[in-house]
Order: sequence, then C-alpha cells, then structure tokens
Amino acid sequence: MRNPPALEQLVESLRCLPGVGPKSALRMAYHLLQRDRSGANGLAQALHNALQVVTHCSLCNTFSEDIVCPLCAADNRDPTLLCVVEMPTDLMMLEQTRVFQGRYFVLMGKLSPLDGIGPKEIHLEKLLKRAQDGVVEEVVLATNYTVEGEATAHYISELLRSRGLKVSRIARGLPMGGEIEHVDSGTLAQALMERRSVR
Amino acid sequence: MAVLHKQDNQPVYVLHTYPFKETSLVVELFSRDFGRVAAVAKGARRPRSAMRGMLQSFQPLLATWSGKAELKTLHSLEWGSGLLLLQGDALMCGFYMNELLLRLLPREDSHDALFAYYGDTLRTLSQNAEHATSLRRFELRMLQEMGYAVPLLNDERDQPIEAERIYEYVAERGASTGVTPLPAANRVQLRGKTLLDMARDDYADSQTQQQSKQLMRMLLAHYLGDKPLHTRQLLIDLQGL
Repeated sequence: MRNPPALEQLVESLRCLPGVGPKSALRMAYHLLQRDRSGANGLAQALHNALQVVTHCSLCNTFSEDIVCPLCAADNRDPTLLCVVEMPTDLMMLEQTRVFQGRYFVLMGKLSPLDGIGPKEIHLEKLLKRAQDGVVEEVVLATNYTVEGEATAHYISELLRSRGLKVSRIARGLPMGGEIEHVDSGTLAQALMERRSVR
Repeated sequence: MAVLHKQDNQPVYVLHTYPFKETSLVVELFSRDFGRVAAVAKGARRPRSAMRGMLQSFQPLLATWSGKAELKTLHSLEWGSGLLLLQGDALMCGFYMNELLLRLLPREDSHDALFAYYGDTLRTLSQNAEHATSLRRFELRMLQEMGYAVPLLNDERDQPIEAERIYEYVAERGASTGVTPLPAANRVQLRGKTLLDMARDDYADSQTQQQSKQLMRMLLAHYLGDKPLHTRQLLIDLQGL
C-alpha cells in the first residue's frame, strides 16, 4: 500500500533533519497528522515565519531578525574586544559567564579539512572585514579545543596578526574545582605542557 | 553470550569521525595490527560521554572494539603513551596525512611498519622540525609500504640512476631517459640526484626538496584518481584570503 502523495512528500521533507531516517520521518509525519494537527499547524507557520525573518547579523554573523543583532547594537559593550566563537550556543555559554564585555563574531562552523569545510563556509572573509573596522584592537579566539577548532584558531590568528591585530586564545587546563586525581590524562598533560609562571 | 571477535587495548590513532544517528559517532581508526578500522562510538556525542574528549586525531590511544561486520562497535578508549601537541601548520600536515590514509589505505589490512612511521612523523611534526621534509618522507614510505613500486635507484631499463642526468619520471614505470609521449600531468622531469637523495633519505638540497615535492604530488595524484585532496584545496583557499 502506498501513502498519499502529500504524506510521502512530508516524510521526504522531514528527512532533511539531521539524524532522521525514513522510519523516524514516517513516525513524525503520522504523529503530526493524526495526533497533533494544531501542533503541526504551529510548526508549519513557525518554520515559514523563521525562514522569512531570520537572517545573519551583518556584524557578528549570528542569527538575527534585524540587520544588526541586539548584542551588536548594545552601546554598553567594549568595541575594542572581539571574541570569535564557532556556534551561537558557544556565544550563549560565554555570555552566561558575564565576564566578557566585548563583542562577538560567530563563524557558524569550523575549518574541517577532511569534510571539505574551508574558509568560504565559515565566513572568514566577513570576519577579516569585521576585525579590521579600525575600532577592534584585540581578537579573542574562543573556538573549541578540538583538532579542528585548533586549526581554525591557528589560521585566523595568522590572518589577523599579519594585518596588525592583537590576537589571544582562551586558556585551557584543569576545570574549576578540578582534582588532579580525577582529571583525564590528556587534559593533565596539556596543563603541564602549557604551565605558566606564578607572579 | 560471549562477545565475538573482541579486540582489547589495541594501539590506534583516530583518523576521522563522522556524526552517526542522534548521539553517536563513526570513528575511522588506524590500528597497528588491523590497519584501518571503522567503529561506532555509541553515545560519544553526549555531553558527559567518557570518550568524547578522547576521540581526537593525532593522539596515541588504546581502543577496545568488537564485531564481525565491517563496522565494529567501539567499547572503550584509553590514552596511550605520550601526548602529542600538534600546533599550527603541523596540524594541517596531520590532517593531510590522515586524508591520504583514508583515501589510500584499504580497510582491515595490517601495516604495522606504516603505523610506526605515522607515529614517528606525528612526533617529528609536534617537535616543530622541517614539516615539508617530514611529509615527503611519509608520502614515500606510505606508497612503498602499501606495495606501490617507486624505483629510485634504477631507471626503467634497470640501469643505475646517474646523479647529473635529467630523467622523466612516470608513475608505475619509473625514470626514463627518453621523452615519453604522455600528458604533462603524468610525468615529472627531474635530476638523477633527486632520486638518489630520496633513496638515501637526504632532503638537504633545496632542488631535491622542490623536485621530490613535484614527484610525490604526481605519484599521489595518479593513485588518488580524479578527486582532489580537501586539505590541499583548503590551503589554496586560505592563501587566497
């Protein structure tokens, strides 16, 4: 037995979500049409609406409904500091710390040589333009401490330093309240290699 | 039920990982005794997964996996001996080696000498030595270990290579003194000295460095086929910024 074409099309569309295969897509479609038609309506409208209004902030590249996002438009932030992160979730985590008063740039990804994700996909050109606005003095690299994040940080720092900007990288090592006994040896080895002198 | 085909604490390096289902990863491992192995790391993308921080390339690890099919199940990982800190350009060299292995090394074909050499090259790269030379050595060793002939001491008619002579090097055939009617992409013109230097593992001469690079690029392109290497493209794109 074949499903009606409109249902087939819905199943096919749901499969564009990450981690959703044909079976999960069919289950979701049945649920939306059978059990939760009002929810389905809401989803359709929200999706349509989001596609219409959400774009990237012209300054920091994060998702925004305005040309300049509220964070970039705020006048109580330090414009000389620019923090580079991989994803909007990273930005949210850094904001929660309430220690950083500068501005942000969101790459929306990282250099991933083996997946073919290069400088174009992570908007490096936009970052270079943003960092060279004449006001930014220091760029703080807060990409992840994965091999891809490290590679991304390295190439951004090379590009920015050659243009005369000060570049720093967030520190790594033992976590808050970390006990040496329970820390994994990778972190510990790095903490030893990158130890600093006590002032 | 006993777990079949379980391999305990095998020395491995992670070559690459891909997201798999909601919270898992498929991990491409390069192991000493089993060559390239693909395994699922279940739940490795969960925030508190023990494996999460360890599934990083270029680190010596000990892996335990099981399974009979091509895709194994990864059970545990431990840090192997010595942590390697690849930084900057060395990282990209590491990605390049990983891409070569992913593209050229067949699954589950043991190459313990190549495994050892890969580890040595990572160590050299992390100590910030001459990166280009390390890569040339690795490329040559890799092709030789995989069984591709790269004759360096004799030409295609089995005459010894003469240092001062100019040769045309063709993949699968070796050096020849005559002119070969092949497109330029399939041959490289070089001095005999370059080949002899490579055979002696001596890359001090700047012309040897340059010509060995051309030679290895041509040979690798021959074995890789049409699809270009991502890492090389990425470096070209970065240069353009």
